[in-house]
Amino acid sequence: MRGDYVIMTDNKLLRNEVTILTLEISHLVGGYSQIPVLKDISFDVRDGELVGLIGLNGAGKSTTINHIIGLLTPQKGIIKINGVTIKDDNQSYKQQIAYIPEMPILYQELTLREHINLTIMAYGLDEKDAWQKADKLLKTFRLENKLDWFPANFSKGMKQKVMIVCAFVTDAPLMIIDEPFLGLDPLAVHDLLSLIEERKHEGASVLMSTHALDTAEKYCDRFVLLHDGQVKIEGSLAELQEALPGVGESLDDIYMSVTKAGQE
Amino acid sequence: MTNLFSQRLKKHLSEMARYLRYVFNDHFVIALMFMVGGLGLGYSNGLKQLSVDVWWAPYTVVAVLTVILQLGRLATLMEDADVVFLLPREHSMHAYLTKSKTYSAVMAGLIQLLGWFILIPFVRVTNPISWPMLIGLLVIQLVLKYGLMEREVVLRYQYQHRLIRNGLIFKVILPVAIIALAYLVNVWLGLLLAIIFTVGMHAISYKRWQGVQIDWKRAIQLENNRMLGIYRFFNLFTNVPSITGSVKRRRYLDFVLARIQPTCANTYRYLFSRGILRGSEFSNLYLRLTLLGMALLIFIDQQWLVLALAVLFIYLIGFQLIPFYFHFDDNVFTHLYPVTEKQKIAGFNRTTTIALVATAILFSLTVLIARLDWQTAALSLVIELVEIFLLVRFYMPTRLRKK
Repeated sequence: MRGDYVIMTDNKLLRNEVTILTLEISHLVGGYSQIPVLKDISFDVRDGELVGLIGLNGAGKSTTINHIIGLLTPQKGIIKINGVTIKDDNQSYKQQIAYIPEMPILYQELTLREHINLTIMAYGLDEKDAWQKADKLLKTFRLENKLDWFPANFSKGMKQKVMIVCAFVTDAPLMIIDEPFLGLDPLAVHDLLSLIEERKHEGASVLMSTHALDTAEKYCDRFVLLHDGQVKIEGSLAELQEALPGVGESLDDIYMSVTKAGQE
Repeated sequence: MTNLFSQRLKKHLSEMARYLRYVFNDHFVIALMFMVGGLGLGYSNGLKQLSVDVWWAPYTVVAVLTVILQLGRLATLMEDADVVFLLPREHSMHAYLTKSKTYSAVMAGLIQLLGWFILIPFVRVTNPISWPMLIGLLVIQLVLKYGLMEREVVLRYQYQHRLIRNGLIFKVILPVAIIALAYLVNVWLGLLLAIIFTVGMHAISYKRWQGVQIDWKRAIQLENNRMLGIYRFFNLFTNVPSITGSVKRRRYLDFVLARIQPTCANTYRYLFSRGILRGSEFSNLYLRLTLLGMALLIFIDQQWLVLALAVLFIYLIGFQLIPFYFHFDDNVFTHLYPVTEKQKIAGFNRTTTIALVATAILFSLTVLIARLDWQTAALSLVIELVEIFLLVRFYMPTRLRKK
């Protein structure tokens, strides 16, 4: 499995001249039932980019994420990660994703240490390297003395931190982060953002859904604004400002004007 | 409000009916028939050795009646969200609670009737009292139970006097006094006291409703505890979604887990083995069936029956472990891991094989010790191992893919 990954990096090198797309979603139609929640969505996340996925409750953010991580099958359209679709090669597609869910999900029967071990095993990582990374992360989030705890003893914020640690232990080139700031203390929010920054510099791409607009404005390279299952507008802050002159400077203003226009 | 209770009751009963179908599955019905038959036989044999002059008999009757009186709780069917949504309708909750009390009292009354019925032979053998007196005892039992239900309603309100919260006085001392008086001295006097008790309870309950607020938190907590008890019971027979089971660290079992190499192919072995050893849900099931099998093996004489029983229990345990394969499916991450389903099945098979082989070894050791016959022990071990191989290799994979 590590072999696959090397080949993939080679592929990326070959296509270096063109813009590199880690995640490519084209004409995605999908949802939980026959009636699609997502109506023809297309956007991409380039290498080393942090893209903010924003929109109202029910706009389709989580549905989009569920499609990307393969929990839902698209009714139409294609999702590619570094050129691979889930149909082509399920295993190498999933190898490339690290996911932090909105609500922490842990195994009741496993200690924190065993969660990290399981992640290492599942992604086929090198044990020593990965644990080195893990130890650093655990220290950052002040969990290093809780390695033998069960999830039942963790608070919501701690569980969220466990999810972050497990996701960042992998060397997945695409990180999917669903509403990460809820329940985290300000220090942890800060640490998470600098982790994302660091991972970006290593070439990973991040797709993050969030309602924290001012944070998103500061840290995201580009934004995808979903409304009612459609991409309303997409681009960097400068591009958004250019496309919608006169509504205001901040992401908040732009967001308000677009969603209000959508409602009328 | 009374409509609301009826609606909820309908939903509750259909849910209970659904679970009862799992409880009374074929295996269990047969076991139950044997159990009831055995107990009935034991009871009637025991009665033959009793006579009128057994000194402890009357006290036993009083004690048994008191125990039966404790059975049956107030089912309010209140839900967590009620504290928000029904709060504005608090005053009309009285009608709701009255309905729930009536329903609960009828159910509890049926239990009293059954208990009384079972007790009749014992009473007739040890104390030649007349039928009207026996009927009187039943009526006292029903009246007292109704009074206790009224008390349960009172407990759902705030600001109750400290005294009424005292379960020892109201659920034990007073009933014992009344029942003892009725059985040992005079039934009709007992009945009179029981009626006074219940009328008093009713008056207190009525006054509560007019004067004070409902203690929502406590009422909901009590109902949740009641439902938890019911779900726990059903969980012995089938999977109840709201029961996740508890988890224990069980450090002393870590030596079993340490043998699993941390490679990608072992991902699910790592997960399943921990799930089965630490989660109560499947470890209890496994332990119960293994111990039951061992206990039965001790008491059986015929060789062919020993072998058949061992084979049956291995099959039962293997069969009951199949749902464990899906135990982690509601965790997103099991869908995200870059691990194939083949590896998952392999990990599951490995884990169940080890669990079943452990049972097989325990079974043959039991046979060896109980019968001191190494031939039967060895034979059973061989048969069990072949069975496990067939189960895991051919039967389980088809079952796992079916879903």
